[in-house]
Amino acid sequence: MFDFLIEGFGVALTPLNLGLAFLGALLGTLFGALPGIGPINGIAILMPLAYTLGLPAESALILLAGIYTGAEYGGRMSSILLNVPGDAGAVMTTLDGHPLAKKGLAGPALGLSAVSSFVGATIAILGLTLFAPLLAEVAVMFGPAEFFALMVFAFSSMSVMMGKDPIKTAIGAVLGVLIATVGVDSGTGVMRFTFGLPELYDGIDFVVMIIGLFAISEILLMLEHANRDDVDSELPPLGRVFVSIKEILFCKGAMLRSSLIGFIIGVLPGTGASVAGAVAYTTEKRLSDKEGTFGHGDMRGLAAPEAANNASAAGSFVPMLTLGIPGSGTTAVLLGALMLYNITPGPMMFTERPEVAGGLIASLYIGNLVLLALNLPLAGVFARVLTIPRWVLVPAIAILAFVGVYQLHSDLTAIYLMLIIGVFGYLLRKLGFSLAPVILGYVLGGLMEQNLRRALSISGGDVGILWQSGISLGLWIAAAALLVLPWLLPKLLPNRRQEAPIEDD
Amino acid sequence: MKLAADRLLGFMLIGLAAFVAVQAINLEIPFSYEPVGPRAFPLGLAILLAGLSLVLVLRPGEDGHWPTGPLALKLVLVLALLLTYAILFIRLGFVPTSLLVVAALARLFGASWAKAWITGIALAVGSYLLFTSGLGIGLPTGTWLGAII
Repeated sequence: MFDFLIEGFGVALTPLNLGLAFLGALLGTLFGALPGIGPINGIAILMPLAYTLGLPAESALILLAGIYTGAEYGGRMSSILLNVPGDAGAVMTTLDGHPLAKKGLAGPALGLSAVSSFVGATIAILGLTLFAPLLAEVAVMFGPAEFFALMVFAFSSMSVMMGKDPIKTAIGAVLGVLIATVGVDSGTGVMRFTFGLPELYDGIDFVVMIIGLFAISEILLMLEHANRDDVDSELPPLGRVFVSIKEILFCKGAMLRSSLIGFIIGVLPGTGASVAGAVAYTTEKRLSDKEGTFGHGDMRGLAAPEAANNASAAGSFVPMLTLGIPGSGTTAVLLGALMLYNITPGPMMFTERPEVAGGLIASLYIGNLVLLALNLPLAGVFARVLTIPRWVLVPAIAILAFVGVYQLHSDLTAIYLMLIIGVFGYLLRKLGFSLAPVILGYVLGGLMEQNLRRALSISGGDVGILWQSGISLGLWIAAAALLVLPWLLPKLLPNRRQEAPIEDD
Repeated sequence: MKLAADRLLGFMLIGLAAFVAVQAINLEIPFSYEPVGPRAFPLGLAILLAGLSLVLVLRPGEDGHWPTGPLALKLVLVLALLLTYAILFIRLGFVPTSLLVVAALARLFGASWAKAWITGIALAVGSYLLFTSGLGIGLPTGTWLGAII
């Protein structure tokens, strides 16, 4: 049953892939540490380069997954030191992490968060190894109708869990799916929404879409962040980055509980690290905050969201690798990256492309060890990254975005399209939209339509096929239940502190 | 009825939904054995979008903070710079265009003139070397260079 993992370690331990796992971990931590550049931006910027370099699919995926998991480590740096979350997953880390740094405990806080991240990621990777093959075996039985129902379930789970406004999440997802319909219709060869532009015949290019939506809109948003006043600009003294066994044991309950919460939320399609961090923090606060120390620098309040957001990152690979349904915005981007290689992740991947699925999982084990080894002694070095001024960072992002898109076809149309999408992304973010649903809709839209049409072809046009099987009926009921639940149990959902400019992973 | 940002957005999205629907209906479809053609899916999405947008029109959320005054001007300037970058990218070549755009961007994001120029030179030349020699990516050298030689 674990043959894929043995083969995977064979793939992941080749010098090239080992080097890429290391590079991904390093770059990911850097990207996570830089405020404004989260995992999606990091992947968006580097994906075209990985593609140009001619890396094989599994190597590219190992590099990009390393960036993803690394960014979840790096996000804590600016949360703890500057009270600015480096990415959405680290929002809750500010609540107790920054007070600790203010008390002069920045070093221990960084050390503890690295250990919590490691624990969370390890538990979730073990869970991924155990559950992914099982789920893949179930998913082999899925037909087009089941997949269609599953995608509907993914979108409804996302609408409920993500962001403060379910309507806007749903609109974002619909817009994403609509964007995916641009181009030649695969069934009939009819042009849809191409307006006679040959550049749009193949649809809106994935790289153009990702870089425009995330990198360009980020440049525009950064202009406003530049003059925010709730932010410390001076780094507090770091001290020694060290964590004692006593502190780890004090937080072990928080770490273990939050790791499980994070993993489960990560597995749920459409919900990512920010939700995991929020749920873990509020749960831990309810369970352990007897003296009212949470929010004033309680170690457990730091360990909980850090364990959870790293666990959810690994957990979100479960639906992506087994069902082809991403568990988070970032895995949606990774899924799109795999599609560039003509690999459609799904239940057959474990049997047909074990080197990709296994190699990725094995590299997560390796990357996690590398990250712990990098983050404990080198936290001081990474912290220095935070002092890179915006006037260097922003032009650097612009150059990477332009080169990344230019090298696709060596023409300008793609660049203009990227800028238009960037403005669109900026407006959406200003209007309180999260971009993760848009990207999830864009990545899944094509598959969603294909599965729907295939199902109806099988049934000869009878829509009843969509809920005929037990699995699909169950998924429809689960999707409906998720949409109704928030009205029935309003107290079940914790208050989520989410600021508009912070993008979900 | 107060005109909130969400309300405006809602109306625009309803307009988009109508546009999508009209476009989808007007698609000319060759004969096919499939029961569902390329029309149905976008049409369904348009209806869904219109319905959701109607909720937005009826129950708009808060307006949020929009940049005003000098900040809005800066925003337009950054956009204009990015557009300039795109227009000159091939004609003027990667290094000179990047140098000018990076320096201007750095200046807009608060660098002094000296720092802005140093950033421009360092990033333009450094990234050119990294991309071309390091990663083997071809970047435009500019059409003017050929005209001189």
